[in-house]
Amino acid sequence: MDLGLSCHHREGQKPLLRQDNEDKKIPQAQERNIFTPCEKEYVKNISDVEEEEEEITVGSSKVNVNDARLIPQSNFHKYCYRHNPDVKCNKLADSNKISQLQDTLQKMPLKDQETINDVWSIFGAADSAKRQVILQGILSQCCFPQLSFISQEVSSLIRIDFISTLPTELSSKILCYLDCESLCNAAQVSKKWKRLADDDRVWHHMCEQHIDRKCPNCGWGLPLMHMKRAREIEYSPKNDAITLSGNHPPQVKRRRLSNQTTNGHGVRKTRPWKVVYSERFKVERNWRKGIYTTKQFVGHTDGVLTLKYDYKYLFTGSYDKTVKIWDVKTGALIRSLESHTQGVKTLAFDEQKLITGSLDNTIKVWNYHTGQCIATYRGHEDCVLSVDFYKKNIVSGSADTTVKLWNVESRTCIALRGHTEGVNSVKIHPQSSTIFSASDDTTVRMWDMTTHKLLKVFKGHIAAVQKVIPLNISSDYELVHDQQNDDEDVGEDEEEEEGEGIDYLDESRQYPNYILTASLDNTIKLWDVRSGKCVRTQFGHLEGIWDISADTFRIVSGAHDSLVKVWDLQSGKCMHTFQGHSSHVLAVGLGDSSFASADETGVVRMCNFDNFD
Amino acid sequence: MSISIISSDGEPFKVERKVAERSVLIKNMLGDLGNDDDDDDESFEVPIPNVRGSVLQKILEWCEHHKDTAFPDDEDDDSRKSAPVEEWDREFLRVDQEMLYEIILGANYLNIRPLLDAGCKVVAEMIRGKTPEEIRRTFNIVNDFSPEEEAAIKRENEWAEDR
Repeated sequence: MDLGLSCHHREGQKPLLRQDNEDKKIPQAQERNIFTPCEKEYVKNISDVEEEEEEITVGSSKVNVNDARLIPQSNFHKYCYRHNPDVKCNKLADSNKISQLQDTLQKMPLKDQETINDVWSIFGAADSAKRQVILQGILSQCCFPQLSFISQEVSSLIRIDFISTLPTELSSKILCYLDCESLCNAAQVSKKWKRLADDDRVWHHMCEQHIDRKCPNCGWGLPLMHMKRAREIEYSPKNDAITLSGNHPPQVKRRRLSNQTTNGHGVRKTRPWKVVYSERFKVERNWRKGIYTTKQFVGHTDGVLTLKYDYKYLFTGSYDKTVKIWDVKTGALIRSLESHTQGVKTLAFDEQKLITGSLDNTIKVWNYHTGQCIATYRGHEDCVLSVDFYKKNIVSGSADTTVKLWNVESRTCIALRGHTEGVNSVKIHPQSSTIFSASDDTTVRMWDMTTHKLLKVFKGHIAAVQKVIPLNISSDYELVHDQQNDDEDVGEDEEEEEGEGIDYLDESRQYPNYILTASLDNTIKLWDVRSGKCVRTQFGHLEGIWDISADTFRIVSGAHDSLVKVWDLQSGKCMHTFQGHSSHVLAVGLGDSSFASADETGVVRMCNFDNFD
Repeated sequence: MSISIISSDGEPFKVERKVAERSVLIKNMLGDLGNDDDDDDESFEVPIPNVRGSVLQKILEWCEHHKDTAFPDDEDDDSRKSAPVEEWDREFLRVDQEMLYEIILGANYLNIRPLLDAGCKVVAEMIRGKTPEEIRRTFNIVNDFSPEEEAAIKRENEWAEDR
């Protein structure tokens, strides 16, 4: 047999075309009467290799022909696609045609049957070069109606099931170019397609493209949600959680899919990437469509000034002088911390400790697991309006106009002076060792945390700035800027206030490329840190904004107009407005699948977007 | 130096070295021969036992067209993935499914990344946006699910619709 060519047949072997006129029952492909020799070989052998799932009889007397199942792609240079014994689907599609042909033939006079059979036999026995000549001759004899028939037939015959027949790595590669809806449709085509389109590698790629980043192709990005999910599968061993690498890594903790998907008790401990993806997809769709459930946290007796939460705990600080810790899942009050003598205006926490700042001018550090107050820092001469911390440093902003940098270890305190009115918000940006502060004096300032020098002043708001959030946005994810005629900003002349400027040559520091600010002038502004200019202003709130929170995809804002708004970070467009509060919204928080808001009457609400039913 | 690439059916194709080296496989083969001196009299025969003549001709046509194209770095996976198929390539790959199939296999065997990418993207475009039934019709695939299985799988995948 000439192995180099597609469907050659052994010289001299005559193709079979039996004319069993009596036998009317020829329903199965295996028993059909017309086939070319290489098909025949296939039919002979298919009895050895009945179903794909079945064990293969090694050492079968039929030599190598169908062992291709063991080395699946190796026989594709031996057979053409059409006559390849491995390509089952195509065979099934052809078999209808073949039995139709059989019927037609049987209705003809015996003489004609013989003649036609001879034509087929001659063609079937010819090698590829001769076949081509025969076909050329036939084609040149054809009238247009016959050519039209050929062209129609051929166009439906030359269809190849790429995904099933290409080497698996190429099929995966093709599937990786698809969007999730097309992939889910592909999984419904056939068994083979399902196996390939549901494959973990393909969905892993989908997750990489979409989780915690916006896919440049489809504009969808999915929330990370790792804390929550990692917790939900508690029985999984720790070392199974992997972290994806890459420049902008989706740090999804999950278990690898392996062959051992069950532990000893039959519990599946691995989650396919498709499930990981679909879970997040549903959450993101709920965000976009505004489908959510609401939970209330009842307990504060006066307005709530601040809130922060993670997957487990919600912390709220109130005019009623307490800090309350809530179970996010159940809404139950876990603990109330009472030691401040005035309202609690600000807080920050990590796994062990909670730091609070109060209208009583003090900062307190708590072990919130025990409820014990570990330390109290005095030094501000007026209310503490904002705190943040990183490692051994606490930063605070106060109504006394200073920003103070406390080192817990060396017990030093340095005041950063420059603001002319109270400092409402401070934020440490650890990657660049900088501090951002927002003030009643309408400016935002950027400070060097190690030299304590003023680096930059951001001017543009026309009322008190209540919040500043530094952002690192990767370059493939372009934030929409306002189209504006530049330089209408105020204060360009106050040169002595401009600060040192940023040394961008220092590559050890990853400066944030943007900051977000919210102000009592009813706007949220996005600033380019490098130029110091406001590049986008988001309008929509009817009164001053008290608080915002943001992640990779969204901004949530709460304002004096009692409204909470959710904005798309990339476009700056308002996606949803929530009206549930009866009083000024003073604090908001944002999670992967939820946001929380609190108002001046003490109502704390959380809207969850992870309900699928 | 002239290079003669021999197809599986014995057809020789004479090409410039630059054209042949679009194939990393051939490039490595030539590299192994350590042929640095420009000896014009020398000629190499490269047998390609996996690719038919008509397909090889088509692939070499692509190599000829792209002999001076600078393709993005292999490492830069993301940019390569999201780039659409270039117009010339799209036109070049406007062939019947059989030819496209063999071009993909050939490009894979010869290790011609950009051609393989383009071929796979073209197939992906044939799938994208189609219902399962439309996909079956496009590729002549028989639905081998039972009605119950089909309904279950449809439910399993419903989440992706209606976004």
